[in-house]
Amino acid sequence: MIDLLTSNPGFIIILAGFLCAFIPVSEIRKFLVGAAPIAAAFLIYTAFKDPDAAYTTVKAGGQDFIVNRIDRLSMIWGYVFCLAGVLNAIYGLHEKCKITDSSALIYMGAAVAGVFVGDFLTLFIFWEMAAISSVMLVWKGGENSFPAGVRYLAIHVLSGVLLLAGAIIYARSNGMDFTMGEPGEYGFLGLDKPGGLLLFLAMGIKCGFPFLHNWIQDAYPKASITGTVILSAFTTKLALYALARCYAGEDILIYIGAVMTCFPVFFAVIENDLRRVLSYSLNNQLGFMVCGIGLADMSGKFGELAMNGVAAHLAADVIFKGLLFMSMGAVMLRTGTAKASELGGLFRSMPYTTIFCLIGAGSIAAFPLLSAFVTKSMILTAALDTALYAEGYSLWVVYAMLLFASAGVMEHSGIKVPFFTFFAHDSGKRVQEAPWNMLVAMGLASVLCVFFAFPWGGYQFLYSLLPFESTYEPYTGNHVVTQMQLLFAAMLAFALLKKYGMYPDERRAEILDFDWTYRRFGKGIAKWIDAMWARLSANVGVLRKNAIERSGRRLYQMFSPAGTFSESTPSGIAAVLTGGMLVLLFIVIYLS
Amino acid sequence: MDFLSFMPEWLITHGAAVLVIMPLLLGAITAILPSERLAWFVTLFVTVFSTVTAFAILLVIFGGETQLYKMGGWDPPHGIAYVIDGLNAPIIFLICSMALLTTLYGLKSVVAEVEPKKRAPFYAAFMLGMAGLLGMVVTGDAFNVFVFLEVSSISTYVLVAMGASRDRRALAASYNYLILGSIGATFFVIGLGFLYMETGTLNMADIGGILRNLDGGSRVSMVAFGFITVGLGLKLAMFPLHLWLPGAYAHAPTMVTVFLASTATKAALYLMLRFTFTVFDVSFDYVFTVLTFIITGLGCAAMLLGSLSAIFQTDARRTLAYSSIAQVGYMLLGVGMLTAMGLTASYVHVLNHAVIKGALFFALGAFWYRYGITRTEDFAGLGKMMPWTMGAFTLGGLSLIGVPLTAGFISKLQLARAALDRGWEWAVVVIMVSSILAIFYIGRLLLAAYFQSPPEIDGEVVERNEAPLIILIPMWFLALLSIGIGIYYSDFVVQLGQNASDVLLQGDRP
Amino acid sequence: MAEEHTHMHDDDHIHPLSRRFLWLADEKVVKGFFWLPAIGLAVTVALGLYYDFPEKHKALWDFFGSWGLIGFMAYSFVVFSAKPLFAMLARQENYYGEETVPENIIEPVVEVHHHD
Repeated sequence: MIDLLTSNPGFIIILAGFLCAFIPVSEIRKFLVGAAPIAAAFLIYTAFKDPDAAYTTVKAGGQDFIVNRIDRLSMIWGYVFCLAGVLNAIYGLHEKCKITDSSALIYMGAAVAGVFVGDFLTLFIFWEMAAISSVMLVWKGGENSFPAGVRYLAIHVLSGVLLLAGAIIYARSNGMDFTMGEPGEYGFLGLDKPGGLLLFLAMGIKCGFPFLHNWIQDAYPKASITGTVILSAFTTKLALYALARCYAGEDILIYIGAVMTCFPVFFAVIENDLRRVLSYSLNNQLGFMVCGIGLADMSGKFGELAMNGVAAHLAADVIFKGLLFMSMGAVMLRTGTAKASELGGLFRSMPYTTIFCLIGAGSIAAFPLLSAFVTKSMILTAALDTALYAEGYSLWVVYAMLLFASAGVMEHSGIKVPFFTFFAHDSGKRVQEAPWNMLVAMGLASVLCVFFAFPWGGYQFLYSLLPFESTYEPYTGNHVVTQMQLLFAAMLAFALLKKYGMYPDERRAEILDFDWTYRRFGKGIAKWIDAMWARLSANVGVLRKNAIERSGRRLYQMFSPAGTFSESTPSGIAAVLTGGMLVLLFIVIYLS
Repeated sequence: MDFLSFMPEWLITHGAAVLVIMPLLLGAITAILPSERLAWFVTLFVTVFSTVTAFAILLVIFGGETQLYKMGGWDPPHGIAYVIDGLNAPIIFLICSMALLTTLYGLKSVVAEVEPKKRAPFYAAFMLGMAGLLGMVVTGDAFNVFVFLEVSSISTYVLVAMGASRDRRALAASYNYLILGSIGATFFVIGLGFLYMETGTLNMADIGGILRNLDGGSRVSMVAFGFITVGLGLKLAMFPLHLWLPGAYAHAPTMVTVFLASTATKAALYLMLRFTFTVFDVSFDYVFTVLTFIITGLGCAAMLLGSLSAIFQTDARRTLAYSSIAQVGYMLLGVGMLTAMGLTASYVHVLNHAVIKGALFFALGAFWYRYGITRTEDFAGLGKMMPWTMGAFTLGGLSLIGVPLTAGFISKLQLARAALDRGWEWAVVVIMVSSILAIFYIGRLLLAAYFQSPPEIDGEVVERNEAPLIILIPMWFLALLSIGIGIYYSDFVVQLGQNASDVLLQGDRP
Repeated sequence: MAEEHTHMHDDDHIHPLSRRFLWLADEKVVKGFFWLPAIGLAVTVALGLYYDFPEKHKALWDFFGSWGLIGFMAYSFVVFSAKPLFAMLARQENYYGEETVPENIIEPVVEVHHHD
């Protein structure tokens, strides 16, 4: 039992989560929430020292499950998840909620476990476990969050089903081998492989590909304060890991990633709910990494740089995106809202939160000495080098889109979020500074944001964790200067637009996105069909009595206790059915 | 094998007969006992003794032996033979051990659910039912099967009807069950008559040998097969012959529901396996066609429609009853594959489902015992009101869904692998869809129990009131066993399934 | 703007650390803020003369001060696109009928007119 528990670093976190469900004392739960990821990180450390010994398979019901195996890619993902787990634990210290503690741990444990598994079946298990446990965090956001949570769950269960279906088709073509490539082998699966498309789609849903992304902006802003912070770290990143392992170097990812970086920029600029702005921003950062995965063609010249960029940017992104969500959470805790139109001038009452938020904003915007300056540039450089190396102009378009998106990030995350919350016109809200534990969590995250880009030993440490040896040199004079040009120019544009009243005001509104198709259009079509059906049946007088207005009611009529299938005095029917069965059997037997 | 050295030699050699005769005799005596407590102790003695004996027999059989016990020393085919092999030994042990657990549980629940003067007869009927089930499983004589089928059925009708003091609808349910059960038994015996006509013997092994020599026999044996399949199908609640089941499960006393859910349909399924694979043979065209098309189709229909029905029930017991119909569908799907893997999966699910459903119905009974709850909407706040019972229910529910590390996962995995092996990808889809439906009907109850607050009565929140220990012990035993099978004993259970499929397919394979 | 002044006097609730930074909200600082990025841009563009693009890593559009231009254009484009996008995509806050927003704070979004 102990062996199994320690075989995969995620398992102890999951176990701690289940324990938390039964522990009534908040302090003990909080200890577990903090200690479990630390213990898991230690397990990763020991496992990586002897990867062969860490390789564990479990046989259940005749099927081998590779529950643990480790290589450099899963190692950095695991460490980052554990780090995020510790920060989230500190951030959530003030909250006394058994369900959040327990589901957060199970969710996080599933994510950690998911990056160390070695086959698709085991991955599927944790894929679904992460989905089911995390929906609790969405539902903890209050009554408004229930429908969003249901949609979230439905989409993630669908993603899991696609994953399983794809895995089965893949394995069948492969002699029932569910293994996800060899350790250290990235991009073993192609879209042309059987089942490849289904697996791609499954990961794409969880990763927020364009048109599959809506669950992020739908669910994340509606989750509880701590819930959003926890959610932002794991789900999409687990999908990103799977994508990196299976599809590294798949060309289409380059273009999907480029589109992903750009389109959220436009939604973020008009969105009023700042947590939703950050959700779009999350999508945009995922785009950089997806693009990087597409560039990480291991047979190519710049594959290693791109893969390193993805891993490094993942580490940076989890921290600074967490930090931004944390600061918005702190604001929401104190003011009760995260709507830009309601906020403003909060630097007067929440100075520390302001500073931390600015550090987060600077990190995501890639100011020198802040994390994305190093990590995002690795991906950009890989794109540039590939474009220079490759023929044709399509990669130049991609590189231009990435540059455009870099300026766009400055708009929504770099300026909009901190400006409208802490500066802009004074909302008159005078609140308390965030609780100490939130400040500590944000402070630590800020330190990490600086550390990951610290020129003297900081980014070098990050390099030591990357999948490949990195020689990328971020602090060249030209890089610093050009990046500063971009950022100063963006700030100047903002200042001038604001000064001359051309910057649009923040207004309350529901911004439509692609989810309109299923939240409104699909519903509308269903209603229309319903109305047409009612009219039709009204016209056909005989059928009128039997008109069934809604599919739900129809099912109910069939299967409910009062329904056809469950009548409580069925002797007559049942006898007839039995006779019918006999006749059927005779016919079949006669024919055979 | 240390355990075996403690067992007296005669018990192992005569075990098969003792298992059937002891509850029959003591059951008859119990009926006239004056004290309910005494009746309970007699039942406990019988079940403990049977469980130990069945376990010893299981160990002997697991070693690879087949036991042939000749009643009264008469050689078959003239005398009646009891045969125990890898196919029925686990079922025998299942029946005995479930009887033991339900008896423990009954100490409190019967007091709550059955009128005082009917309690001693209740235990008597329970033992007769147990004897009937054991007899039907253990015997090698086809007519003897019918006799024991009737013994178990009639006592079951009585047991279901005894739920009337709790819920008057039990009478209607029992009446329904009586009518349909009788139709089933009649069909079965008509089928046996045709078989006798064709072969001139009632010994199952003999019939099998003769039919194989005749290469499936004439139209007469085909008709016999049809009657026997439908008759047993009714008994095992094969969709759409399941209509008796929800009522019987919902209104019977809890102890009976658990016993029925985890043994009665299983014994009937065992008979179906025995008849289709060893008396008849899948090499006969008509058997092959019926299994591949009809049984598989009905199995899938049961999985989907049964699960769908379960979602829309307002009574938690009916939810689980419909879930049972769906689970029978899983077993039939495995049978319909006609491969060793499919049969193994099916058999594994027979055992696992007994454990899982036992735990779930135990928990439902405890909810009724403390709060009188059976409706799904009353589940609100049960996580706080009865945390331990709800915990067991949760484990059982997760296992029913097929969450990894549970017994349900093992059987579904086996089944899915078997389907892939057979080349039936669509069956995997059906399994997935049915499992997702299970998430809904179980999740609905769990969400209400954990996320809604306990009801208020007169402005005060209902207080926590945990079930008594004697109810918690069998419940948690099964709940933990379902996890244990998922983690530790999966190989053992799968091995049992393989032994069974070896017995079934020892002849020729399709 | 009127709202801003009504609240300026409740200084008691201002965080002690923030008191030292109240000048950030000063009218002059706000109006003159654009000088900071303007000067920064000028300096970095000038430095760009010295730190030229390495030949090996030079994009098609990499020339003197080009990143500043890209930043300015891209940023302005995003902001200017906000107006038509808002007109196209914005709906009332309880459009999907799920939010329980009090009626009185729902701003009717029928037509968007820029208030200039």
